[in-house]
This record gives sequence, structure tokens and C-alpha cells, in this order.
Amino acid sequence: MSDAPARVVFTAGFSDRYTQGVREFEVTAKNLRGVLRAMDEMFPGLATHLEEETTVAINGELHETGYFQSVPPGAEVFFIPKIEGG
Amino acid sequence: MNDSVIVSDSVKRFKWIGTRPIRPDGVPKVTGRALYGADLKLPGMIYGKVLRSPHAHARILKIDTSKAEALKGVKAVVTAQDLPEQKFEYIGPERVAVNFWHVTRNILAREKALYEGHAIAAVAAVSASIAEEAAALIEVEYEVLPHVIDVDEAMAPDAPLLFEDMVPRGMDGAKPSNIAKRLEFKMGDIDAGFAQADVVIEKEFKTAAVHQAYIEPHACVAKMEADGQGEIWSSSQGHFQMRALTAQILGAKIGDLRVTPAEIGGGFGGKTVTYLEPVAALLSRKAGLPVRLQMTREEVFKASGPTSGSSMWAKVGVTKDGKIVAGDVILKFQAGAFPGSPVMNACLCAFSPYDIPNARAVGYDVVSNRPKAAAYRAPGSPIGHFAVESVIDMCAKAIGMDPLDLRIKNVAGIGTPTIAGPKHAHAGFRETLEALRNHPGYTAKLGPNQGRGVACGYWFNGGGESSATFQLNADGTVLVATGSPDIGGSRASMALMAAETLGVDYDQVRAIVADTGSVGYTHVTGGSRVTFATGAAVVTATRSAIKELCKRAAMIWDVDPEGVVWEDGHAKPAGSNVGDFKPLSVKELAAKAAATGGPITTSAGVNAGAQAPGFSAQFCDLEVDPETGHVTILRYVVAQDVGKAIHPSYVEGQMQGGVVQGIGWALNEEYIYNSKGLLDNAGFLDYRCPVASDVPMIDTILVEVPNPAHPYGVKGVGEANICPPMAAIACAIEQATGKRMTELPMSPPRVLAALSEG
Repeated sequence: MSDAPARVVFTAGFSDRYTQGVREFEVTAKNLRGVLRAMDEMFPGLATHLEEETTVAINGELHETGYFQSVPPGAEVFFIPKIEGG
Repeated sequence: MNDSVIVSDSVKRFKWIGTRPIRPDGVPKVTGRALYGADLKLPGMIYGKVLRSPHAHARILKIDTSKAEALKGVKAVVTAQDLPEQKFEYIGPERVAVNFWHVTRNILAREKALYEGHAIAAVAAVSASIAEEAAALIEVEYEVLPHVIDVDEAMAPDAPLLFEDMVPRGMDGAKPSNIAKRLEFKMGDIDAGFAQADVVIEKEFKTAAVHQAYIEPHACVAKMEADGQGEIWSSSQGHFQMRALTAQILGAKIGDLRVTPAEIGGGFGGKTVTYLEPVAALLSRKAGLPVRLQMTREEVFKASGPTSGSSMWAKVGVTKDGKIVAGDVILKFQAGAFPGSPVMNACLCAFSPYDIPNARAVGYDVVSNRPKAAAYRAPGSPIGHFAVESVIDMCAKAIGMDPLDLRIKNVAGIGTPTIAGPKHAHAGFRETLEALRNHPGYTAKLGPNQGRGVACGYWFNGGGESSATFQLNADGTVLVATGSPDIGGSRASMALMAAETLGVDYDQVRAIVADTGSVGYTHVTGGSRVTFATGAAVVTATRSAIKELCKRAAMIWDVDPEGVVWEDGHAKPAGSNVGDFKPLSVKELAAKAAATGGPITTSAGVNAGAQAPGFSAQFCDLEVDPETGHVTILRYVVAQDVGKAIHPSYVEGQMQGGVVQGIGWALNEEYIYNSKGLLDNAGFLDYRCPVASDVPMIDTILVEVPNPAHPYGVKGVGEANICPPMAAIACAIEQATGKRMTELPMSPPRVLAALSEG
């Protein structure tokens, strides 16, 4: 279980724009920086879009898309559009 | 009656957290001495005035400022030509989708005036009356164009276009249109879901644009120097945000601007955007003098953001035994004159309180000749909830189930998928529903023409970047500074959290709001984020101070720092092996600060995550006058999962405030336009907000299910409470009269018309 990759998921709209419609990926990383690096290797420039346009839910917990967020083994890492409140 | 329902064993007992001390900003406010945006006066200050469009839609052919410039006492006149052009690109969060090409055109119009009240030019003069006179001397040649106000009409193929070359995003092959964007979110199999349903109900809804109606109009003072540096004092929900936006609009460096927050007389989301600061800075730069700019109430209504009005369709399928199997909504939102309505939020929130396996939400962001929509308390969510919660109520009636029981049966919990994609990670919804169900008023008998309605609301809540500094004074008192403008009582909450963490009395801690030059970056006071995120920064800074205090004690005792622990506001030896030392208090350590290394000051910057969402469940009892259509609210009960209430009075105030604003949205508030596209009710006499005599005491139930991601369990409390009232009231009217109201506001003429339909 300790080496289980994280399941990285994008919304349909995001995947249509940036990942040729593919919504799910498996990535091995300890933190979000690692996830972003791995995705950027597959789709150059994608990390910048993720940082600027998304909020991330790691196992359902919402965070800003910051490098330091730890990614537990086997976690679901779901990138969703950023939300602004009132 | 106010109840606090403790539902979790993990709720800890605290000395200060959960108490209700008097607000530290109370005396200056009740004595009229607090300084709001329009109160500041600088030496040499002059007065600005904005000239605004009298037309709903017009091409600007020519602006002649010569007569205004020639008027004695006028020091500066500016138009959009004085601002740098901005690149056309959408950047930042999707919901606001900031495009500075649009923002700069909202601040000062360029090619077109897109709504009545759109800023065209501005002047600054030695007196307000001369500035007003000068503004009237500016000659603007317009080509008046056909206008469009209603969202459905704006989407029609033959509608007048605000931007002739705007192609909808998210609609392949679409022609130029007033539709700025189409969004779609879905999960499961929507057709299969409805096929499982025993009852399927669908309905169309409309809501009016409503203003945040903060009591203090926008106001600021700007003082720009010849070297490009400048200072701004303004009333906003985020002085760091105002600094960044003003720098971008002016083409200035962020570091050249310093922004000091004034006290703020309400914002509710509407003061997260800028209207005046860049114009005041521009006038000041040109005049070489400080400039004050403030809106009248009429300008607030005509030129600052209301929230969107909407046109919606909602469909829900339910089985006979009460399982909601499918939900579908189409939400068309007015964005105002520029793209950027909160329709995405509405799409994501509409079904989120429930475990619905098959759902779809489609949203349209539509421009029309209205002021640009701005955030308003859980932006977008109350609108979508009005439609969905109304249809859920109809489903409950159709299957003969209590509307609260139906919601309890379908409530989302940890692990429930959401239409946004991620699964819910926090509990609290069920506990909130059950607390409301157990309220004695829920089973109270109703009289003739009376009805009871139930509705729920969901909001994400925010986290993100916040900063705090901690300073220990020589006498042992503490100063905590944050970058969060205090709208809902955050100074008291910050002081409570610092006092609890340090182990000193509340009155030993003073909390202030510091300017952009005196504390680290802090995101806006919005999104129900401050007590959560800025509170985390305060606790982190205080913990750093405790670590430093332990080091200082170790130095005094000549022991290793690891041999010192912090308990009850004192440094103590960790064990008998460390030595027999008398505990040192904060005051004693403060007195030795110089000798042990100098001032004890710490700071913390956090990017707080894992905020729990907000959830509110409410019921309303009301009576409808069959002769007039007037609705009287008899009883209103709001239950909300608050995590842990740091200062319960403020939390109750947030819940009551959200409900009262929702009552206004439901019953009276609306932007009324005439056939020329001009606003007919730009003032509080004709734009009817609820006043104290319109509402009963709002009964609050604080449900405390702590958020483990916050040191004290905090969840945001400011927004979810405004989501349910419109539907709750519509459902209650239906029970009282048999008439389902589907258009807001449910004002007396509209209710009377429904009653007369027979």
C-alpha cells in the first residue's frame, strides 16, 4: 500500500482543454509538487494551468494547489476549478 | 431562544474559546468615532466625482473635457485614455475569471457605455460642489444603441450584442452572442436515474438581481507621489486585493502602493472588487494632491455589483420511499455588462447537500446591460438552491413525506460523491438536519393562512493565504496583527484564539488589522475564510512565540530549551530532573525580553487548506394576508454546522444576518428597470430591504462538529445561511396558500396575483 500511486482526476472541461480528454492518471508522488511535475512531463505546460486555475481536493479535502500539500499513498487527487467566495 | 448543540465528543472545553466578550471595536463604533472610508481627511485633500452614463447601451463617439478643465478649482480630469490598455486574457479563478481588458473598461468605459451608471470620466476639484459642477461640464457624444436587460432575452439570437465579437466559451461552433460561457458538470447516468424514479417533477424559476446593500457606500482616499509611490485608504474586504487590482489597472508596481484598511460598513462580497481606487489614484497622480472619491447611494445601486438575477429550470426524480435518484438543472445567470457571474458556484452547490447518484448541472454566463455582477454571500449558491430546494419540496409532497425527513434520508456524508468531482470529506450535514428536526417549533400547530417551509443550503467555504504577527509588549500584553479587514468580529475572534493558545486572559490581547506594509499578504475577508485561515495564522504565530518564550525561560534558568514546557500561560520545567524552578509567567518573561535576546515578536504566513464546507438547514413559519398578498414571517429557525464557535454571539449574528438578507431577497428586493433600460429604484426607499420590524428574532441552533484541520475546529459560518431562505419561504407560502411561487421576489403584488389565479 505504501507505494500505491495516487489517482489524479480532472474535470471533463479541464481534460478536454489540456489532456486530450483523458480524465484520470496514476502518479507516484509524495506531495503535490511531485504530482505537478509528473503531469507536466506528460503534458508540457500543464502544471502552470493547474496552479493558476484549480483548487485541489486530496481525498476530498480542499486545498489551494500548493507544492507542499502531502499526497498519501493511494490518494484521490481531484483538480477542480477555483472557487471564490463573498 | 438560542441553543448550542454539542454533537461530537471531540469538542474540547476551553477557557476563552466559546465565550462572548464585548467586541474590542465596539466603543469607537457606537460613539461614532470609528473611521470609515469617507471619514479620512488629509492635508491638501481635494474631492473627486465620477461622470456616469445616462444610457443603458451607447457607443462613445467623443469625450470633450475642455470646459471641465477650464473651471476654476478643477485640478484634474481623467478618462479611460489615461489608463494603460490591458491584455485580453482570462486569468485566475474560474468563477471570477478576471480579464483585465474587461476590468479596466468597467472602471472607466472606453468604446461603449454598457449600463446606466457606467463610469465615463472623473474630475477632482477643491470642493465636492465644484467637482460635481465640472463633471456636468464634460461633453460626451453618444450613439445610443438598443439594450437588453433580461437574461432570456439577452440569450436570444437577435438580441443586441454588448460585445460584437464575443464567442461563448464552452460552446463549439457558436456565433458571437451575449453568452460568455457555458458550463456543464455531471455524474452518473442522468437518463437511467430518472428512469428509476416514481415521481419526476420539473419547474422553471426566475430570480431578480439583488444588491448586497451594505450600509456604507464605497469610498477611498488616494495620495500619489511624483516618484510613483502612493498610499490608499479605503473601505474594502481586502486591502491587499485593492492594492493588487489598483497596481494592475494603473500599470504600477505592487510594492509602490501601500493600502490601509478603513473600518468597513458591510461588504457581503461586493467590496472584493475595485471601482474607485484606481480612479482616485489616477486623479491624485494628475493633480499632485490627495483625492477622496466616494459613491452616493444611487451610484452604489447603479454602478457597483449586485448579484445575478437568473432564469432556471430544475428537475428532480424520487422513488416512492424517498430516495432521490436524479437531479438536473439549467441555470442562466446575468453577469451584468461583463462576463463573470457566479453560475459555476451555483452548478457545483445545487445538489451538494445530498447523495444523488445521477446529476447534471448546466450553467450559462450571460452579459446584459446591467452593472457587472459582484460576489454576494455564497455567490451563486442561493440562486441555484432556490430552484432545487423548491423542487425537492414538491417531491416530498408528491410522495407524502416530511420535507426534512426526505432530506435526512438523502443527506450527504463523508465519502458521498459531489458533482464537482471530489467526495465529501466532512461530517455535519446529518447532525444539522436532525437538530432542526428536533426543534420544538417544527411540530408547532399552524393557524389559518399560515404555512411552514423547509430548505437547506451548501457552501464550499474558503481557506488560503493569511498572515499574522505576534508582538509581546514590555508589560506582558500582546498585540496580534492580521491582514483581514474586520467585518464580522474577527478582531475579537483572533484575540480569543491567541489568548487561548498562549494561556493568558482575553483582555491581555489586543488584535488589530494592519496595512499592507505592516503584515504579510492576506487574501480577502470573504468566502467565510477569516476565522479559519487567518485564525490558523494567529495560532501558528502564537505557537512560535511560545517556543521563543520557552527558550527565554531556559536562558533564565540556564537549562536546555527542551527542558521547558508551556502550560497555562507559564514556562515550567519539563520535569523534576530539569530543576526546581518557579514557573515564569508571560509578564515575567516579557520583562526580561531585553536581557534574553530582545523583542519577542513572531509572524506566520499560512496557506490554510482542508476547510470544511458550510451547511445550513432552516424552517420558516409565515402567514399570508389573502387580501393584500403581504407575507409576515412568524418564526424562523436556522441550524448550521459551525465547527466550533469561537465567539458564539458573532456566529449567531452571521446566521441571523444571512437569513434576514435571504428574507429580503425572497420577499421584496429587486432591480427594477424601465423600458429605456434605466434603473427605477436606486435608493433604499424603493429598493426594499428588510428592517427590524419586518422580521422576528431569528432562532439559531449552533451545531458543533469540529473541523480537525483547524486548531480549534473552526468551520466558516458567514455564507451557507443565506442559501435556504428563498426556497423555505416559497415552500411555506405554498403550504399556506396552495400556490407555488417560482419567481422572486415574492412581493405582495406577485403573491396576490398568484392567489387570484384561482
